[in-house]
Amino acid sequence: MSNIKLGLLVAWPTFWTGFPIKMVFCLLLLAAHMHPWEGAGFFLLLLVSIPVDIWALGLCARTVFIDRLKVDSQPGIGVGLWMRWAVFSAIALPVIKIIVSEVTGVAKSTTSSIVHSFKEGLYPGLGVAEQITLELVMWGSVSTLVLILCILGWLYGLGWLTQSFVREAKSLDGTEEDRANFWDGLRIPADQPLLLTAFTGAGVVLVFVFWTLLPSTTPHPHEEYQFISKGPKEEKVEPKKVLKEAEKVLAKAELVVKKLEEEKGGESKDLKGEKTKEAGADKAQPEKKK
Amino acid sequence: MQQDSQPVNQPNPLEKIVEFVDERVGLKNIQAKMLNEPIPGGSRWAYAFGSVLLFIFILQVVTGILLMFYYVPSADHAYDSTQYIIHEVDYGWFLLSYHFWGSSAMVVMVFAHMSQVFLWGAYKKPRELVWLVGLALFGVVMGFGFTGYLLPWDQRAYWATVVGVEIMDKTPIVGDFMARFLKGGPTPGQMTLSRFFVIHVMVLPAALAGLAGLHIFLFRKAGPAGPFRGTPEEIKAKTDYFFPRQIWKDIVAMASVFLIICSLAFIEPVVLLEQATPDPGDYHPEPEWYFLFLFQLLRLKIFGGELGQFLGAIAIPGAFMAFLAALPFIDTNPERNLFKRPIALVGWIAIMAFILIFTVSAIINRDFLH
Repeated sequence: MSNIKLGLLVAWPTFWTGFPIKMVFCLLLLAAHMHPWEGAGFFLLLLVSIPVDIWALGLCARTVFIDRLKVDSQPGIGVGLWMRWAVFSAIALPVIKIIVSEVTGVAKSTTSSIVHSFKEGLYPGLGVAEQITLELVMWGSVSTLVLILCILGWLYGLGWLTQSFVREAKSLDGTEEDRANFWDGLRIPADQPLLLTAFTGAGVVLVFVFWTLLPSTTPHPHEEYQFISKGPKEEKVEPKKVLKEAEKVLAKAELVVKKLEEEKGGESKDLKGEKTKEAGADKAQPEKKK
Repeated sequence: MQQDSQPVNQPNPLEKIVEFVDERVGLKNIQAKMLNEPIPGGSRWAYAFGSVLLFIFILQVVTGILLMFYYVPSADHAYDSTQYIIHEVDYGWFLLSYHFWGSSAMVVMVFAHMSQVFLWGAYKKPRELVWLVGLALFGVVMGFGFTGYLLPWDQRAYWATVVGVEIMDKTPIVGDFMARFLKGGPTPGQMTLSRFFVIHVMVLPAALAGLAGLHIFLFRKAGPAGPFRGTPEEIKAKTDYFFPRQIWKDIVAMASVFLIICSLAFIEPVVLLEQATPDPGDYHPEPEWYFLFLFQLLRLKIFGGELGQFLGAIAIPGAFMAFLAALPFIDTNPERNLFKRPIALVGWIAIMAFILIFTVSAIINRDFLH
């Protein structure tokens, strides 16, 4: 089997085998307001991914070995393969990223200048939508081609690293059915009720943790939205405080009443004085008239 | 001498209930038919698409019902009630965002499922009817996306509907009637919202449930298509039953899709634009992402004018759908191996490339509008 095919046959199912477990962790991080693609969240995700990938790689590599290559691997293939793949990918993937982004940058600027000169010199009526699609097809084809070549190179490397494990593996005799039964037998858990209970228990705990972490109101409120119902404010009733405040109010009220009475009293005295004055004046007036 | 008066193997209450139902319904027969279906070539992840689609649909129904407890389908209150769901209902933002991303997931899964059936040649005899009902289901899923998009009643919803109904209007003979029926007036308003709401929560779910049931029935009648490669001996040696391996694969696939939808609800939750008005203002109308390629196609000069718009919006997509419906009757060659069907392989790659290029073009085109 070619290195590229072997690399793909092991890497593809490995990715999907570990994916659901990693997604559970990602979701819990998101519910806890942590981004799995940056900072501490990313570091935690990487940490969790190591044992998951080792397990998934061991399982998938052994499946490919038995099913396709008709050999059974040596024990500990997961750890051994993971260490080689991890070191290789840690170097290869950033290099691929740099190559693809550099090529894309050059392709974009080149196609842009070609299409612009074409538009100015040969076909001024070229529409915006046509120009966008034309440029995209031109630089996209180059980028896609380079990306595919880089991925094939990476898969070749993964396959090449796996070949030594294939050479060390022992061959399996028998028919297709025998091999299928052999691999089926290896995957049946020794204690099935325990496994089911563990799965169910883990599921229940994860659901509980998720709903505990999940914010009940939106973490992205609309900037123009005004809360419609804030609900009545609940105030605690403290009898002593209420009584003191009531006494204060009563005392104030008493003072006001007193003041009013005083004012009323003063006014009535003034009124009496004014009335006597007026009466005196009235008495004097007829005399004046006279 | 009688040693034990207790009868042996006396059924417990639960077993009695099961026995009671089984006697009347044939529960054990149904269970045996459901779980003991042979799968040629053994269980596969590729067979999980149908189950995942059913799972997404069930969760869309559940989240949709929960949202309906708060949503008010009137032009005056649709926007406010959606804002209320997002901002004030406990976990309402999450339910709405899940429902929103669930609809996109459904479109993606339908598309993936159809691609798989096409590439594996599983539409061929004797599965023509399964394929045809599947196409009808595709139409129903698209209808769900189109009608649900209007319900929040913000600018994005309103203008996407305006664009969609205008495209529908260009259909010969029935276009004018359909556009008038959906709008219920000269401009989208209360009648439009009511009609879209009824279609979204009553008509389409009923259609989908019925068609999905028919799809599964026809699929079971014709039998699983199995892998398109492998010798008959290999396929026979690996033949498995639906339970437990395929069920396990289905469950893991469902859980993965559920986790992806939940994550998308967190990363990009639903945030409304301004309330819908007949004046677009600064907003540039755009349909939902899975119609973007068609929208961008209509921007090309070749599709300008009345005839061009008709060709791009109705004639070409309509002809393509008619071709898909006729495919099992045109392609009668029993060969299913993809690598021995070069036209099918190249055709599928070309269509995928076309959709991808025009969708990305539509996204780049946004920069030229501002």
